[in-house]
Amino acid sequence: MKSVKILGSGCANCRKLEAAAREAATSAGIEAEFVKVTDMNAITAYDLLSTPGLVIDEKLVSSGRIPTQAEIQGWLA
Amino acid sequence: MDIFLRSMSGGAGNLAAYLAAHVLLCLLPAFFIAGAMAALIPKASITRWLGRNAPYRVSYPAAAAAGSLLAVCSCTIVPLFAGIHKKGAGLGPAITFLFFAPAGNILALAYTGSILGAEFAFARFALSLLFGIGIGLMMAVLFWRDDASHDAQTDALFAQQASIGAAPLGVLLSLVAVLIAGTLKLWPLTATVGTLTLPLPWAEVWQAALYQWVPFDAAKGEEGVSLQGSLLILLLVLIGLIAWKGLEDIVEGANRWTWVALGLAAATLLVAAMRLTPVPGGVELALTGRALAVAAALGAVLHHARRLEADAWRAWLWEAWRFVKQIFVLLVVGVFVVGIVRQWIQPQWIENLAGRNDMLANAAAVLFGVFMYFPTLVEVPVAHMFLDLGMHRGPLLAYLMADPELSLQSILMVSAIIGRRKTFTYVGLVALFSIVAGLAYGAWVDGMERVWIIGGLGSFAAVLVTTLGWLLGRRAMPARV
Repeated sequence: MKSVKILGSGCANCRKLEAAAREAATSAGIEAEFVKVTDMNAITAYDLLSTPGLVIDEKLVSSGRIPTQAEIQGWLA
Repeated sequence: MDIFLRSMSGGAGNLAAYLAAHVLLCLLPAFFIAGAMAALIPKASITRWLGRNAPYRVSYPAAAAAGSLLAVCSCTIVPLFAGIHKKGAGLGPAITFLFFAPAGNILALAYTGSILGAEFAFARFALSLLFGIGIGLMMAVLFWRDDASHDAQTDALFAQQASIGAAPLGVLLSLVAVLIAGTLKLWPLTATVGTLTLPLPWAEVWQAALYQWVPFDAAKGEEGVSLQGSLLILLLVLIGLIAWKGLEDIVEGANRWTWVALGLAAATLLVAAMRLTPVPGGVELALTGRALAVAAALGAVLHHARRLEADAWRAWLWEAWRFVKQIFVLLVVGVFVVGIVRQWIQPQWIENLAGRNDMLANAAAVLFGVFMYFPTLVEVPVAHMFLDLGMHRGPLLAYLMADPELSLQSILMVSAIIGRRKTFTYVGLVALFSIVAGLAYGAWVDGMERVWIIGGLGSFAAVLVTTLGWLLGRRAMPARV
């Protein structure tokens, strides 16, 4: 079971990232728990300069952009 | 019923006039530039100057640069603000960044310039820069104890090094060239190279119909919709519809609609740069120097964009499209509402309150800015309305300085990160500095001796710097504010 966190205050990019991450997990058949982090202090605990951020198993893998399906699946594997 | 109709037609007329006249040559390239800044400038190329050990001579200019180059939307402003404050250079540069971002970013400058004039945009830029750094320094000095008690954090966030590549830089510069070629009102851009009369008999009828649908009163500063304007609105709507199909999933790759949307956007810019005038029996198409310059700049954009890597240009187009979705909708609604409201405000009210450049007028303008919340960029059409209604340009600038910097949203956000006491100090300082900015610019407009204004601002800055230098010297601390 992977833990996936979406960091962001609910902006358009964060919703898009969440959708992309869910789709990537489903199509690769990977079970994952999704958590949305919207609290600013919790977000800045990770080293990022712009949202949305994607955290997989407590490691920040991308920030400030929306990665492609292929990239997300690479991180999830 | 009559009242309702009058309001609605005021709103629709305002919207049509804005879309036709102002939006295209400034906002369309500006959205692409904002997208390119968000996607193509590596944040580390600027943020590496914001680390914990950066001296203040470096960190304040870098914070201002970050505000104007990196922070086009709140998804960058908030995390970067929190990051600079907590893990980077400290409270002062964080405040400079926060203050300068809404006034110094490309969308705000382009839009202010095209609606209120280049001089006004420049004043907004220069005074925000000066005062952003001033307020940052004052906050840092007032609260230096809190800053000194940073807990042991790593410098990792701001230690990364990066620089912008040749292709992204080329794209950015040629986009800026499109913006400049499209908006600057200078010879040879305004010169006519050649004219061509197209035999379109319906053109005159159409123009007459447009003036009837969107009646306007030039004395009140209202604008009508021209034939060319109506063509541009049509093109805009088309781009909007097609971009929805072409750009929504651009991250996964381009499709045929992507190229149609981009082609239409380029065509729109070219049409806007030409001059279409209805003449008896047809339309006179004038090829201007502007059209040639825009075409050349667009060619340069294409040339550089082809050298971008696939995920770079996809990210660029996505960010540009996201800004359009996020800001354009608000702007359309805002302009519409401004058009309605304007029917109900008597010019005398504005003239009595803020028709002069004095302390009271500037204070009233700032107060209005603090308590009114307008979404991104809507402050500009609001300011335009006030200007038409007789507001003096000094208080107008004071309002424009205070409004975006002190929205309720930003006050809440700032107080969540730095606490209430510092936030209230910040709000107070912004109000004070905005009034000073309004007074100074108003005096400039009124034709006061330039020497006096520059001398006044200079001594204001000098007193500030001396006080700070003295305070900094007194505390036996590394000079990191």
